Amino acid sequence: MKLVVAALVSFMMWMPALAQDKAAVARLKPKDFPTQPIEFTVVYPAGGGMDVTGRLLAKYVEKWSGERIIVNNRTGGAGMVGHTYLATQAKPDGHTVGVLANLVWGDAMLRAQGRWTLADLEPIGYLNTDALTWVGRTDGPYKGFTLKQIVQAAKDKPGTVRVATVPGSMWEYIIEQIEAASGAKFLRVPFQGGGAGISALVGGNVDVAQGFYSEFRGHLEGGKVAPLAVASAVRMDFLKSMPTFNEALGGNEYLWQVIRFAVVPKGTPADRKAWLGAAIKAAMSDPELIAEYKKFGVYFDPKLVNSKDVAKDLNEYAEAERRFYQKTGRLK
Amino acid sequence: MDPIGGLLGGFAVILTAQNLYLCLIGSVIGTLVGVLPGLGPLAALALLLPVTFTLPPVGGMVMLCSIFYGAMYGGSTTSVLLNIPGEAASVVTCLDGHQMARQGRAGAALGIAAMGSFIAGTIGVIVMTFFAPLIAAVAIRFGPPENFALMVLGLVCTLFMITGSTLKGVLMVALGFLFAAVGLDVVNGKERFTFGSVNLGAGIDLLSVVIGLFGLSEVLANVESLTKSSVLAERIRGLWPTLADWKAAWRPMLRGSGLGFLLGLVPGGGPVTASFMSYMLEKRISSHPERFGKGAVEGVAGPESANNAAVAGSIIPVLSLGIPGNPVTALLLGALIIQGVQPGPLFMTQRPELFWGIVASMYIGNVLLLVLNLPLVGLWAQLLRVPYRVLFPVVLLLCVVGSYSANKNVFDLWVMLAFGAGGYLLRKLEYDLAPFVIAFVLAPLLEQSLRQALVMSPDGAMILLQRPVTALLLAASAVLVALMLRRKNSPLGGGSP
Amino acid sequence: MLERALNAFWILLGAGAAWHAWTLGLTGASGPESGLFPLLAAFIVMGAGLVLLSKAPLNPRLPRGAALRRVAGVVIGLAVMAAALPYAGFAVSGAVTMLVLLRTAGSSGWVESVMLSLASVATVIWIFGHLLGMILPRGPWGW
Repeated sequence: MKLVVAALVSFMMWMPALAQDKAAVARLKPKDFPTQPIEFTVVYPAGGGMDVTGRLLAKYVEKWSGERIIVNNRTGGAGMVGHTYLATQAKPDGHTVGVLANLVWGDAMLRAQGRWTLADLEPIGYLNTDALTWVGRTDGPYKGFTLKQIVQAAKDKPGTVRVATVPGSMWEYIIEQIEAASGAKFLRVPFQGGGAGISALVGGNVDVAQGFYSEFRGHLEGGKVAPLAVASAVRMDFLKSMPTFNEALGGNEYLWQVIRFAVVPKGTPADRKAWLGAAIKAAMSDPELIAEYKKFGVYFDPKLVNSKDVAKDLNEYAEAERRFYQKTGRLK
Repeated sequence: MDPIGGLLGGFAVILTAQNLYLCLIGSVIGTLVGVLPGLGPLAALALLLPVTFTLPPVGGMVMLCSIFYGAMYGGSTTSVLLNIPGEAASVVTCLDGHQMARQGRAGAALGIAAMGSFIAGTIGVIVMTFFAPLIAAVAIRFGPPENFALMVLGLVCTLFMITGSTLKGVLMVALGFLFAAVGLDVVNGKERFTFGSVNLGAGIDLLSVVIGLFGLSEVLANVESLTKSSVLAERIRGLWPTLADWKAAWRPMLRGSGLGFLLGLVPGGGPVTASFMSYMLEKRISSHPERFGKGAVEGVAGPESANNAAVAGSIIPVLSLGIPGNPVTALLLGALIIQGVQPGPLFMTQRPELFWGIVASMYIGNVLLLVLNLPLVGLWAQLLRVPYRVLFPVVLLLCVVGSYSANKNVFDLWVMLAFGAGGYLLRKLEYDLAPFVIAFVLAPLLEQSLRQALVMSPDGAMILLQRPVTALLLAASAVLVALMLRRKNSPLGGGSP
Repeated sequence: MLERALNAFWILLGAGAAWHAWTLGLTGASGPESGLFPLLAAFIVMGAGLVLLSKAPLNPRLPRGAALRRVAGVVIGLAVMAAALPYAGFAVSGAVTMLVLLRTAGSSGWVESVMLSLASVATVIWIFGHLLGMILPRGPWGW
């Protein structure tokens, strides 16, 4: 009996190592594939967080698979152009892989207008997660305030605390949640992206900005921004002193993060899908890539890293978002 | 670290075989990218980003930066020779540069452009060396109200720029606003004028508009009167600018450098806006504005200097603050991040070898580009003697690829075609196309800034008067409008109604 | 004739755009809404069109005969290329379009046209596809 258990345990420990083996990845490669460089489609502009993620991934997938990967930015409409391309136009022959974020769920549920659904995109690998963070100024009237104090200020003097937001996205949703729960009222100043909002913060044009660690790290080190709270379930490694929203405000609904994953268009042959999935898994297990990603303050959601069925687990998160849209009247 | 010491350190870093080689490669690629119509620095940098993975940080960044300003050097070549902009920042160079080429003075135009680019680039880097942190600290305070006021000033200048019929010019400006509105409204995420099309939802791509409106329409106009032996210029009269050219050009070069540098600093500004504004400035203060559009060398010297100075200006916020002002610098920022560097206020002190290495490389890059471009002037000028019937299909092929390269979307080709045919017809009916483009570029920024400013202001529109810089810029616009109206009412008058 | 048609077009375009802008909403709680700026622009377009209509139109020299065929040929040729690009790939549609343009609008000889078309397309694919790593559309034949 002990022998069987020991054998089983060692077999199970050997299995993850299997994914790391270049030869193992090569074993899964279908014949006559690929016939041209594989395109990693990034739906946001070059140089941004998503793009950097995609390019690093491409670099390591190239290393583990031996095939040439080209990153292609298909931008426009805040991601809609790229999402629509992947869901409706990209050939499902395994030569196109989408590097997406959970922002695609919003597009699919609210804006696709029947052209495509989430079912048209099949997740093949989880990459990382970036939690939305609120940062404040290190000068000005709210200097030194904690998140609770700022929310209180927004409640006492409604419409005076300026928050940078990106319309139609989680930047707005979290403000809604906070306002609904506390009765505060923020002044929402719209920007085209998180980075623009952080620039405005440093310039003194808003009081609170929302963004990701990679966007404000430089400013943080330079003492120009003060971290307030992070919208994740646990505190972040890069800033253990920063509370989560749930801790600071009480509750457990303040979970807003960018979850990055790879997809292929529906209909991609199973063997090609399996090989692509294995190559991505191998790259994601590479300690060098993990270290590079960690520098950006991303974290690896244990539920998704150890997932046996990435598509199913991602779908659970997607359904939670759908429920939020229904609760707030955006979706019938 | 004091600037001189830092700079010397930077040179020490740069003057290695590998880094010099990378600077050279970047300059060559940048020039090529600038020359090819449509393929702009953004697409080229995106394509070449992976190459920097295998390079050390200094080398990689040097290469990318040299592509950026190299493109500003090369962009003038097709503008002058073929009346087709190499990229959006070279549109204005077409106006007078090509006319000079038609008069056989392509060499002079190209030479002035190259020299202006060099002077501007060098001045920009010198200012950057000594004042970068100070300038960055000021630039960061430019918020929505200031941006709005700046855009208003730009728009007022555009109205000055209108040649021929004022009414048609105003129509073009308004049309530019309308087409720029197609897509997502930034302020609230609503779709405007998209009619359910995903492609329209992404907005109309500037590059395709520019290539179509100026490039394709030009080809159509030339093809119309094509004969077996048509060439663009019968005789090449001298390869170098004359003394008279230099005398006329040196002041526009300096003005263009200053203006371009300032505009590069502002978010949303950059080489495109800088080139247009410089042209308008030169035309406005010239004692013979009617020469513009017919081969005035100031119309080449100013804008070409401005777009190069704007490169230096736009790199400052990235290097000193970690804040990108336009898509190209956003990409440079991404490249730095991938290299494991964290740009921000501490970048200069944490990684002085990288910061000063990049700055030093810009000095060297400017020299390299001048050396590369000037001798080639004679070679490029020969292109004008190639029979047009053979030249134009090749040019069209390049336009197609260039237009496609921006978003890899065939829709952009249709945009190019539509604007090309439209531009051809509009030129026949004596419409000036440049105001359309400048409005197309400025309108989204103007609208977005105003609405952001109104949202963030507790007193509504009063914020425009409460902030000093904003109030100043708006006052300047008002003064210009008053001058313009006065000029029109005087016996000499402005353009015909 | 052309100018009058164009002015009528401006009026229609302005009217249509103004109507669409109206439906987007003009002012909201925090200042202008999505429709305000486009509405103003549309009015200007419409107004300018009306005023221009009241003036004597230009009579530009429109292309006739062979010139018209050349210009139309370029436009149609590029349209065909844009339509064929996603299906036939860049190499084929580019080469064929160039060939047609050289032969018709450019009135070049067969040999010259074929050689120039092939050489240009090959060079472009080499520079953009291989050197710069850009993905150009491929046809069903794999290239």
